Amino acid sequence: MIPKNIAEEFFQCNKCGLCAATCPIGKELLLEKYTPRGKIQLARYYSQGKLDLSDHCREVFAKCLLCGACMTTCPSGVELNKVFISLREEITKKIGVHPTMEKGVQSLIVHHNISGEDNSERGEWRDFLKNLPDHMYQRDKAEVVYFVGCVASFFPTVQKIPQNLVRILESADLDFTILGGQEWCCGFPLIGAGIPEKAREMMDYNLEKVKELEAKMVVFSCPSCYRTWKESYDTDLELLHSTQLIEKLIRDGSIRLKEVNTTVTYHDPCDLGRNGGIYDAPRKILKSIPGLSLLELENNRAQSVCCGGGGNLEMVDSGLTETMAQKKIGEIQRTGVKTVVTSCQQCVRTIKARASRQEIDLNVWDITELVLQAMCND
Amino acid sequence: MIPKALGDEFRSIVGDEWFLDTTEDLATYSYDGFLPEFQPDAIVIPGSTNDISRIMRIANREKINITPRGAGTNICGGSVAKKGGLVIAFHRMNRILEIDPENRCAVVQPGVVNADLQKEVARYGLMYPPDPASMFVSTIGGNVALNAGGPRGVKYGATRDYLLGLEVVLPSGEVIKTGGKTLKNASGYDLTRLFCGSEGTLGIFTQIIVRLIPLPPAKATLQAIFSDLDDAATTVSAIIGSGIVPTTLELMDRVVLDAIGDYGGAKFSKEAQAVLLIEVDGEASLVEAQGRRIERFCKERGATEVERARSVEEAERLWQARRTAFGSVARLTPNCIVEDATVPVKKVPEILKKIVELANKYRLKIAVLAHAGDGNLHPLIMTDLRDKEEMARIDKALEEIYEAAMEMGGTLSGEHGIGIAKKKFMPMQFSQSAIEIMRGIKKVFDPNNILNPGSFL
Repeated sequence: MIPKNIAEEFFQCNKCGLCAATCPIGKELLLEKYTPRGKIQLARYYSQGKLDLSDHCREVFAKCLLCGACMTTCPSGVELNKVFISLREEITKKIGVHPTMEKGVQSLIVHHNISGEDNSERGEWRDFLKNLPDHMYQRDKAEVVYFVGCVASFFPTVQKIPQNLVRILESADLDFTILGGQEWCCGFPLIGAGIPEKAREMMDYNLEKVKELEAKMVVFSCPSCYRTWKESYDTDLELLHSTQLIEKLIRDGSIRLKEVNTTVTYHDPCDLGRNGGIYDAPRKILKSIPGLSLLELENNRAQSVCCGGGGNLEMVDSGLTETMAQKKIGEIQRTGVKTVVTSCQQCVRTIKARASRQEIDLNVWDITELVLQAMCND
Repeated sequence: MIPKALGDEFRSIVGDEWFLDTTEDLATYSYDGFLPEFQPDAIVIPGSTNDISRIMRIANREKINITPRGAGTNICGGSVAKKGGLVIAFHRMNRILEIDPENRCAVVQPGVVNADLQKEVARYGLMYPPDPASMFVSTIGGNVALNAGGPRGVKYGATRDYLLGLEVVLPSGEVIKTGGKTLKNASGYDLTRLFCGSEGTLGIFTQIIVRLIPLPPAKATLQAIFSDLDDAATTVSAIIGSGIVPTTLELMDRVVLDAIGDYGGAKFSKEAQAVLLIEVDGEASLVEAQGRRIERFCKERGATEVERARSVEEAERLWQARRTAFGSVARLTPNCIVEDATVPVKKVPEILKKIVELANKYRLKIAVLAHAGDGNLHPLIMTDLRDKEEMARIDKALEEIYEAAMEMGGTLSGEHGIGIAKKKFMPMQFSQSAIEIMRGIKKVFDPNNILNPGSFL
């Protein structure tokens, strides 16, 4: 059954079709069923008993980045993402999780992370750091908890992000800790896979762990972890994305930045920008680096187009993810700039992987990398 | 149901991938932006004129109904399969074939999205003026079929005014060409213009030649606030009557202004009963002078406040209210019916009064947005389709709006088309013999009545 408040969402849909203007998947796959309006229609059909949830239907709903671009053009304010997630839940309940998501889901349930590795290895990225302090950034108590997230913890191409961020926080003399092997997945990929009850287990566990540390703030380098905590964790703790914290540290003088003479462009990650409402913090950071110029992408801020890494799409159709990443690279290249900065490990991974496969000369930096570089120029 | 053997014939033309008949596909090609839904028996997605010609030959032979569909954004039920059959969708025929700056025209396939064409021709310093609100999604093929307009219509007109020629597949499968790249064309009946606005009842467009104009070098954007709706309305006809041809002359009433404010957009003072958004474009010196004149006009006619944008950003800020208007109103209730009865511009004050009167009479919540400069009203009727009693009152109010528009020498539709939305009102505007002539024309092109049956005729 579709919850009543969700059904109300698709009654609100006027079928005007304007959502298709910004849906990257609809534009690529062309057929109406892949557009947000098409998916709303399928949800409506299902709720009216006119459609069985088939493999075909599961495939259609899996082909969505949950990027939220459709909601920026929907004149009726339909919360399309809620409908899409609700349908994924229904589909999983009725016919099971998408076969290609199974492995990831299994790993989340067994290991509490997306990588398939033992969760005790979550802190391995620290091994590559020089002058690692004795506490290895994992303390019994701290003001701030840095929630690293699965991807940045386990995937070597983006382990630099936590490595950079702990250095930055350390030099700002911040009282912080990580959870190491005590951290579990935030629950986001399980929400995307339509298994909210399992996501809830993760959330309850993480919240408990953070409470034990008596922290006042949780900081995230992963926009999706940040968004999930903001939207689904029942907590009064202050939740900040790393860009917000860094910007604050720059503003209050805790971090001083030296000249970096280069021009970069910036890609707004969906879960940070459109879905998290954070556009200014990363831009303020970039502006505070002397000598650095920012050339905006054609589609920036709320208009930013997903890199292809959203919505668990990569697990279901990696080819489509690559197509999206290629389009993103094209947009970056049209600025004439050789360096794209972003604030998300998933965007870095997706864009970097495609660029390297196509042997495209492009620097893909997480913003922490740039900040650290500016700090180290002493 | 399309018999399997026939389905196989269609599949052999377009390939399995582009012949769709699953429940999911039938469900998602059963609607457009209008209310009622009709499921087709299948959807076929051709890749070429030749594909369409072969499809039509079979359909004509087997008397299978065909409904062409662009992006399905129209709000008159023009692209739904009212009597079943095949929907032809143009997703694959979406290429701009040629931009010809010397002849100031472009040749496009029907599936090209309006805004994509606009963006592409702008690189040549050219403009394709028709700018329907759906332009970021709607296709040129659909725009031609419905003679789409837009806010720039006051100065630039609608799709028909930019249509130079067509390649059309007839129900028989024959391919004909009409018009061409010439601006002048006095040869024979003007079939090109006949096809425009034919709502998919006469033939399937496969190539479209559109006229382009130079991008105007400058524009002035003004916003005038009135404490009286009637003052705003009379200012509209006064501006038009003065010899100035604004590009855009939009009107928003108090209901719209409230909705915009509530949605977090611009806040207007309590006294504001109507706002006009006015834009003129052209050579910089001319635009400057016209901007000043319009400013004076508005003040003379009771505007309490007139603001002229001094930068692109300021102009964008003024436009912001108008851009968010529909959305702000649409989200107030589950559904929002957009009307488009149109009257001669001098009658704008009168029809506005009538709409307010009918809203009161039938206890309806109606917000008025209007491309006022060309008399094209867009009353937005806020409702919930599940409320049958209210829907009945809406039907009565609509009928009276049309009657009033007819009495004023207006038309049922300015830019949305008739489709099934206003089919039953056709006799209000046309005599029996005029309708018979239209039916006769339809028969010449489509003797078996397979093209978009159930439409306005």
